[in-house]
Amino acid sequence: MYRRLRSARGFDSAQPRPTPSAVEGRRVSQLVFLAGFVLLFALAADPLILPVPVDLYLRADPLLALSAMVSLRRIVPELLWYALPITLVSLLLGRVFCGWICPMGTTIDLCERVFKMRGTVAASPQPRQAALAKSKTPTAAAKRHRLKFYLLIALIVTMLIPSAHRSNQELGLTQTVGLSAVYLLDPIALLTRTFTWVALPTAQWAAVLSQDTVGGWIDSDFVRRHGLLDRGLALAQTGLDAVARPAFFRLGLVALLVFGGVIALSRYERRFWCRNLCPLGALLGLLGKISPFRLAVSEKCNHCLRCVNECKVGAITDDPKQYRGPECIQCYSCLAVCPQQAISLTAGHEAAARDDGLQLDRRRVLAAMGAGLAAVAIPKSSLSAMRSSATASVLKLSSFRLIRPPGSLTESAFVTACVRCGECMKACMTNTLQPAVGEGGLEALGTPVVVPRVGACAQSCTLCGQVCPTRAIEPFTVEEKNHLYIGTASVDRSTCIAWASGRECVMCDEACSYDAISQDVSESGVLRPIVDERTCVGCGMCEWICPVEPLGAVRVNSSGDRRHLRREEQKLLRDQVEREKQKGSPYQGSESPYASAG
Amino acid sequence: MADRFTRREFLKRAAIGVATAGLATELSGLDPEALEGSAEAASGPTIAVASKKDPAGLVRAAVEAVGGMRSFVKKGDTVLVKPNMGWARRPEQAATTNPEVVAEIVRLCRQAGAREVKVVDHAVDRPDSLLLRMTGIADAAKKAGARVAMASSPALYEKVSLRRGKALTSAEVMRDLLRADVFINVPIAKVHNSTVLTLGIKNLLGIIWDRGAFHRSTSLDQAMVDLATQIRPHLTILDAVRILLTNGPKGPGRTDDRKIVVAGTDMVAVDAYGASIFGMKASQIGHVRLAGASGLGESDLRRIQIRHV
Repeated sequence: MYRRLRSARGFDSAQPRPTPSAVEGRRVSQLVFLAGFVLLFALAADPLILPVPVDLYLRADPLLALSAMVSLRRIVPELLWYALPITLVSLLLGRVFCGWICPMGTTIDLCERVFKMRGTVAASPQPRQAALAKSKTPTAAAKRHRLKFYLLIALIVTMLIPSAHRSNQELGLTQTVGLSAVYLLDPIALLTRTFTWVALPTAQWAAVLSQDTVGGWIDSDFVRRHGLLDRGLALAQTGLDAVARPAFFRLGLVALLVFGGVIALSRYERRFWCRNLCPLGALLGLLGKISPFRLAVSEKCNHCLRCVNECKVGAITDDPKQYRGPECIQCYSCLAVCPQQAISLTAGHEAAARDDGLQLDRRRVLAAMGAGLAAVAIPKSSLSAMRSSATASVLKLSSFRLIRPPGSLTESAFVTACVRCGECMKACMTNTLQPAVGEGGLEALGTPVVVPRVGACAQSCTLCGQVCPTRAIEPFTVEEKNHLYIGTASVDRSTCIAWASGRECVMCDEACSYDAISQDVSESGVLRPIVDERTCVGCGMCEWICPVEPLGAVRVNSSGDRRHLRREEQKLLRDQVEREKQKGSPYQGSESPYASAG
Repeated sequence: MADRFTRREFLKRAAIGVATAGLATELSGLDPEALEGSAEAASGPTIAVASKKDPAGLVRAAVEAVGGMRSFVKKGDTVLVKPNMGWARRPEQAATTNPEVVAEIVRLCRQAGAREVKVVDHAVDRPDSLLLRMTGIADAAKKAGARVAMASSPALYEKVSLRRGKALTSAEVMRDLLRADVFINVPIAKVHNSTVLTLGIKNLLGIIWDRGAFHRSTSLDQAMVDLATQIRPHLTILDAVRILLTNGPKGPGRTDDRKIVVAGTDMVAVDAYGASIFGMKASQIGHVRLAGASGLGESDLRRIQIRHV
């Protein structure tokens, strides 16, 4: 049973410091997985060309899967399958994910390196006796470690408590749903969100800026006169195939501050986030408690405490022969720095006994559960949740501007399932998907809403449904967009150019993708737009194009939202409209210029 | 004002016109051939009307009949081709210019020695990448040797004052167009819910940044004419290979295969003929009538010399 990680090199070799192969391997792994994360993020765009889902990292996150299933009281086999590998790996090797894979952890490592953050409260080598004496009582640092477990407990309680109602369309009944606050603290969701809301617009602005400046330079008369305008550089000038309009997200600043805060905490302690706050780390650490593998310290240890100093997460107690198993991220830095080569990864009963375990404070556990229960107050911040009827939870009374992407779950379920990773907003081709600010109340902060003035939901795009990791947006087809009503447009006749000032316009009718706008002819012969609310799906094209500034005279509101109906029912309604139209409805009357042509 | 149609009356006539323009052209009395004067009598501008060929052949024949591409494009010129690729529709839905037509124009320009051919539009619809793909124009034009782009950033536009403008005094026009040596306007012939038809003059709305300003102005028709007075294409090639008869400009609607391409230097004349394809008179199309009246071009079919090829 006794195995040595670096047996090939041999602990008794003459080398004073053996090449830390495990550490090198870990660094390569970290960079590869970070690169993979960035690549998948970049490829979450039209067209989706990969055989693997672009939201792989989010899907593989066991905490998100747990939350999406527990809080919605449903089993999603897909989520289970994707979360399985990391769960199994964690059962075997504890928090190896945190040390080797997690892109958030790698980002923190990189930032620590770049900004030279080593932590101001890092343990200093202490006399051996003092260290041994101290190890009996938990230090302040050890107490901080436990915070993440309390947070995890609080999060799980919020998933369990029935905080809202959801009409289960599959089962045809109303059931309770928990509340998921996991988005606040899950590292993968947090990092993806930061990438979408902050990194993406920044990169695109940089691209545009260089395009404009370099392009202007290229096109200067000097360059022209001297025939320096070559095809390659000219590419930058017209913006051919380049980013013309950078994406923008409303809550970018908030995401930046949160992310910056997480990074800045490393000034205090290295990997402060990972060791004290990350609930995913806590979950994986708990899974790893049954791991057969442990780090063992041999008799060669001379208590130099280098390992204690080197440990990124403070997992080693002041007595280097002991460490806290659920804290260790398997980075193997301790193996690399030990001048005695006294540390090895072993499997077996004997080594397992060295695990320090975790002693949670009972009062704090209760307090965490209390905090989780208190979180039930959050969804009551919107009017919809305060209405007690079954339909109220699907009709969003909080805001008429709460327009969800097509395929979204009913509102309370949607808010619960959505982890605010921003993947849908990243993939969205028109930038119309924006983080909700006030549309859905406090509980919907950061969830995707369609903001037509920014862009319309493109008729032939289905990306958001394909990239949602928790199925808050269920996948849908282009054909289904025809009857997945997300809202209804209405014309504000007091500001509409045609209605209010009697001038020709009808840009909304021009642009409507679903032929839902028809014309009323005024006495003086001016065409005035009318929305056929039976055909309008609320894509927002009309609002986007309306020349009336700043709001647009035709605006989409959430009244047409039909998420409370099953998809088949929505289709039936749409088909009914088609049949009525065929029969000859008031909307295809003699006023239509070409009605008699058919 | 006496000769002006009321809207209702116009719509009725238009409906009749389109209904009859299809298969029963000869019986309708609105036959394009019947409307035009004989080539000898006409003293106005010349346009070429090519018919009954494949799209590329139509373009070649029409351009050849107005003097050939070499009379417009000189060696080393930069050419800007402005098709309609403003809607997320497939070519067969006839809401956007036929990609083969655009590609053939690009090829002719390259053959004439153009240093660079840019195919650019400012789309109404979004997203650009999807439009470029769906319309088929990006692929076809790139293969033919053009650079294809959507000019979707205000940084790519320059303010131009419309000196003789009545409804608008200025507009932001694509910088690429202002700097091009040759500007070729390639509209598709469609019905349009606001301007009745969309032809050459209307297609120019895709070269400006703030389309909304035109709609907010006192008169959309006049604003379009104001722009056309300042920005004049060297060549207008109207794609009527397949025209959109209902629910224009975006469709989807009823389409009709006409297999016609019209070319000419006088954009108004091309539009006047374009109207006849729908069984209408130029005077029924507000902006074409205004353009003719303001001397921008010839809107009276009887005075236009038409070469059928």
